[in-house]
Amino acid sequence: MRKGVFFGENDQMIQFKELFAGYRGEKLDALMGNQIINWGRSDGFNPTNNITPNDYFFLSSNPDDQKESNFMLRLKYRFIPAIELDLIAIPFYASSNYRYDLFEMGENVNFGAEIIPPKELNNSTLAARLNFEFPAAGWSVSYFNGFDPYHGFDVQSVDWTSGMPLLTNVSTPYRKTTLGADVAIPLGNWIFRAEAAYNTTKNPDSNMFIPLSDVGYVAAIETNIAGVTLIGQYIGKYTPDFFDLPLPVLSNPMDPMAQFQYANQMIDYENRLFNRKIFYQQEKTNHAVSLTLSKSFGYDAWNAELTNYYNFTSNEMILRPKLSWKITDALTSAIGVNYMQGDSKSLFGYSSKVMNGGFLELKVTF
Amino acid sequence: MKTKTFIAIFLSIISTGSFSQTAKEISKKSIDAIDVGNIEMISTINIRDAKGNKRVRQITTASKQFGGVTKMLIRFIAPADVKGTSILVYDYENESDNMWIYLPALRKVRRVVSSEKGKSFMGSEFTNADMSKPNTEDFDYNIIGTEMYEGKSCWKIETTSKTEAIANENGFKKRISYTDKSNYVSYKVEYYDAEGKLRRIQTLSNYKKQPNGKYFAYYMSMESVQSGRKSEMIIDKLQSGSQLPESAFAPTALEK
Repeated sequence: MRKGVFFGENDQMIQFKELFAGYRGEKLDALMGNQIINWGRSDGFNPTNNITPNDYFFLSSNPDDQKESNFMLRLKYRFIPAIELDLIAIPFYASSNYRYDLFEMGENVNFGAEIIPPKELNNSTLAARLNFEFPAAGWSVSYFNGFDPYHGFDVQSVDWTSGMPLLTNVSTPYRKTTLGADVAIPLGNWIFRAEAAYNTTKNPDSNMFIPLSDVGYVAAIETNIAGVTLIGQYIGKYTPDFFDLPLPVLSNPMDPMAQFQYANQMIDYENRLFNRKIFYQQEKTNHAVSLTLSKSFGYDAWNAELTNYYNFTSNEMILRPKLSWKITDALTSAIGVNYMQGDSKSLFGYSSKVMNGGFLELKVTF
Repeated sequence: MKTKTFIAIFLSIISTGSFSQTAKEISKKSIDAIDVGNIEMISTINIRDAKGNKRVRQITTASKQFGGVTKMLIRFIAPADVKGTSILVYDYENESDNMWIYLPALRKVRRVVSSEKGKSFMGSEFTNADMSKPNTEDFDYNIIGTEMYEGKSCWKIETTSKTEAIANENGFKKRISYTDKSNYVSYKVEYYDAEGKLRRIQTLSNYKKQPNGKYFAYYMSMESVQSGRKSEMIIDKLQSGSQLPESAFAPTALEK
């Protein structure tokens, strides 16, 4: 249950984080209802995890709280204890929540109600994962076909009645097919992880809200030095068919029709660029790194954590230090900072004005 | 003078018993005397700080040997903030352990680095190393004397980490165990750091003989000498000989 003022608006809602029922056996699990799926062996950046949405604007000291469930049928079959097949069928689409309507994107940009695909069988999502977990290594291969919760934006309408264009953008889902794989290999005091996904999309109409086919990949190491857990990750994306968007040219500045055409082309150009930022397809290759340091002390009553992310391609960064203290077994407090930085028209540049700040959390567990 | 010295050494050898058994052999027998490789139990851990404030944790533990590997599954029952968390450890004789954790908030099983044996177990004075069988090849053993402990004649066995890395991994440089000469169970263990300072004192009592002839201490306490904190582990229920199949000790079963 949530009640309070969120981003300047009174909000009150009751939400089931998860609600499902079914059968769990030694060989087979069959569960139906609202569930959260978290695939992938890397941390926080999982290109193979496309199934359930996130609320990126749910304010919590723990990013895992941003995970949201979706209604599904999930079957898990264990051939042997170390090999399991995970099958998921999702009849209805649920989108991730990112509140671009809160961003200062200009007075001529509005955001309309999101587009939800019709509830039809051919709009459902299917996913499968064959997971192997042996002492020497764990790995999986996965398949996804359906609507990606991490959606794009389309320009729904352009209103010229005032003489200036007034845009209405709407979140618009798209289908994709993903072939994924991940691996984790322990080696003494180190664990090496890797995860990759090949995403294919069909876009015969060249819609701006559909990304180009791409490959997302993460390579990571984890170790423990003097009681500090260190997780370092490289996060990359390769877009084989990437091309530079042609910048519109005003052919005849004196021709009103040419001006009108040019304005429409610029609207299209800017919004395509915006979608490319969402999909990390601003260049043919996108490079980013993340580093997380974590240490518990005082008999695990205290935990200090620092997470840093830097995207070399878009010059965006996040810095998130956090200190938590278990006051009692039932009461935990956390204090920290969320700091994002990016160029003026970057996603982090927009979101930093909304999301930057400190937080103080008191959490009661019962 | 030489005769007196010889007699003194001879008496010392007789009294320590090393004439018939080496310290390493006694330690191996002491490890084998305890039934940790094949059990299911529910236990409560009481943690008291120097001011007397108390925190309580409750866990279920199951362990069983499969092909020379001791597999241990720990599930957290209380308090509420850790309820549902599960840890699986594959404890090998002569190589690094494998460890996985399932955190309900994360909703997936995650392999973790297992080198932190010296780390506090659930915020108590016990360490992760205290929860598993020690690798006897990692230590040197010496009998440093005999002593009566609560009416029992005990060997005093000094166990020293062979390398600094082993000491760092297990959280102690040296320990001295008071091991019963009659049944090889230990009643008291003192843990020392690299500077030779006494850091922790473990006491074990209420030993019960299990159907397989091995023993288990139903009460253990660990006291931190420096901080004054004390943790107790009380076995609420124990079943010798786990009935769980090997599939219950698989990482894929952790989230059940």
